[in-house]
Amino acid sequence: MLEHENSENGGESERTDRFKELALKYSRFYKGKVNTFPKVPVRSLNDFSIWYTPGVAAVSLEIARDRDQSFELTGRWNSTAILTDGTRVLGLGNVGPEAAMAVMEGKALIFNYLGAVNAIPIPVRAADREQFIGVAKALEPSFGGYNLEDIESPKCFYIQEKLQQELNIPVWHDDQLGTACITLAGLINALRVVDKKLKDVKVVLMGSGAANIATAKLIIAAGVRAGNIRMVDSGGVIDSERKDLDSMMINNPWKYELALSTNSDRIKGEASKAFEGADVVLSASRQGPGTIRPEWIRSMNGKGIVFALANPVPEIWPRLALESGAAVVSTGRSDFPNQINNSLVFPGVFRGALDARATGVNIEIMLSASREIADFVSDPGPERIVPTMEEWELYPRVASAVAAKASEMGLARKSGSREFFFKTAHELIESNRNMYRRMLEEKYIRNLPGGGEDE
Amino acid sequence: MSDEPEIRKMKESDVGAVMDMIHRLKLLNQEFDPTFQVAEPPADEVKESLREAIRQEKQYIMLVVEAEGKAVGVVKADIHNRIYYLPRQEARITEFYVMPEFRRKMLGKKLISQLYSELGRRGITMVSAEFPSLNLIALGFYKGMGYRDIVSVYGRHLGDE
Repeated sequence: MLEHENSENGGESERTDRFKELALKYSRFYKGKVNTFPKVPVRSLNDFSIWYTPGVAAVSLEIARDRDQSFELTGRWNSTAILTDGTRVLGLGNVGPEAAMAVMEGKALIFNYLGAVNAIPIPVRAADREQFIGVAKALEPSFGGYNLEDIESPKCFYIQEKLQQELNIPVWHDDQLGTACITLAGLINALRVVDKKLKDVKVVLMGSGAANIATAKLIIAAGVRAGNIRMVDSGGVIDSERKDLDSMMINNPWKYELALSTNSDRIKGEASKAFEGADVVLSASRQGPGTIRPEWIRSMNGKGIVFALANPVPEIWPRLALESGAAVVSTGRSDFPNQINNSLVFPGVFRGALDARATGVNIEIMLSASREIADFVSDPGPERIVPTMEEWELYPRVASAVAAKASEMGLARKSGSREFFFKTAHELIESNRNMYRRMLEEKYIRNLPGGGEDE
Repeated sequence: MSDEPEIRKMKESDVGAVMDMIHRLKLLNQEFDPTFQVAEPPADEVKESLREAIRQEKQYIMLVVEAEGKAVGVVKADIHNRIYYLPRQEARITEFYVMPEFRRKMLGKKLISQLYSELGRRGITMVSAEFPSLNLIALGFYKGMGYRDIVSVYGRHLGDE
């Protein structure tokens, strides 16, 4: 066992340490990962009379007459704020907004690189959730969407719900919604591989944090029977008679609602009990190995599906899960097949939401994104249930699915066909990539110090 | 659920389930106000006090909701004799709990309604409810049932400055 784990671990910690060392070195060199840059020609300083005063006054007046014109006459249509309070940054915990900036810049980079979204990192110093909400509401006129990031649970549920109710732009919390979307996409294809149906499978949700609570809601909306879900947290299997339910009701009503509607088999006790006779395990839990035991997998139904998503070390090594009887295994890592990665979701979701000038996102839009990602994989197999990040067609496909659904649901300021939105997203992403490539070629983006030879 | 929940007087066989529910109620109170720090209850003592309440029918009213063959809700009211005020008798609800799975089915209101019927049979026209001031759920429930604040009990731990 130990030998097995070590061989799959493959010097992971040394590799991670090397990445950290380079990140520090390069961050000191570049001093930030994103920038704002003009996108209009300045032929002479006289052009400022157009782009700025006096000409710009006409634009302001036009927007004052109709606020939605801010999406057509300014960059609002493509601008997203990445908002965080820095309370749950990666696995680091509450490191504060200044420290969160480095991570938010990284997210902004991915937004731009994969989705051509102009994403602005905005870490906020907020004493409590109401103050955070106040800041977010005040900033709404500047943005076409919000991506909430690295906010501790269960505060994140309250903030996302409240903001989505009160604002007229999409409010996405990637740790919840992005993870839920890609998990469902992977699950759809994993079930195609083992020839089982969403409505029939018994699903263990190992870990009851923000990601799995959102995943539970999404898979129920997709067709999994709530009663067939077994949620597990540090106290074992959650059942409606567990003694901490009232505490849950007060402190985490989102989890409480699921506690009441799931586990119709009334399974009680330790995590291992939940696995007996289950078809699927979706684990977003404590990192492993050893969080999920091989004998638990053996107690599952045949052709089991195991998503061990803890990073960097999955709850069980994929090979061990397969040897224990699982038919399809996925992790959060790029060095194993079937990487469940939010980056397959949020660039396309935002591209589509922004292109449709969406006023919000909801579970139907999430479902359409998940189904599009699943359908993108034309030949699902045990080692191919989700696309990879290199498959560029994915992002405009997801964007068009999201935009068309928002349009269909009356959540869009701009309507259009699926084809129209695909073309729009495709052109934007391609043009952005070309621009970025040219800037690299022309060395307007400086080469890595030492030519990247450190790696 | 195949059978409709039934509201009836508490029986000896309900003691275990009722003890568990009252413990849950105390834990809930603790969530709202740490002043009500819950101790591990001495099971024998609690069971005996519940049996005593069943026996002392004139002093206590104990009703349960039975569903799926067991008690899933409880109300306990103590009957107080009032020397200085009219009416002379008051029923004070001291324990009230419905298991989470059986909430949102109006069982709480039905329990209270059944309690009123029992009070009617006894000619008692005054009812009150005792709960921690910070228990917002209880506060909302009783306010919704037409109760208002009629007496205050203030407290503090000695040594807390």
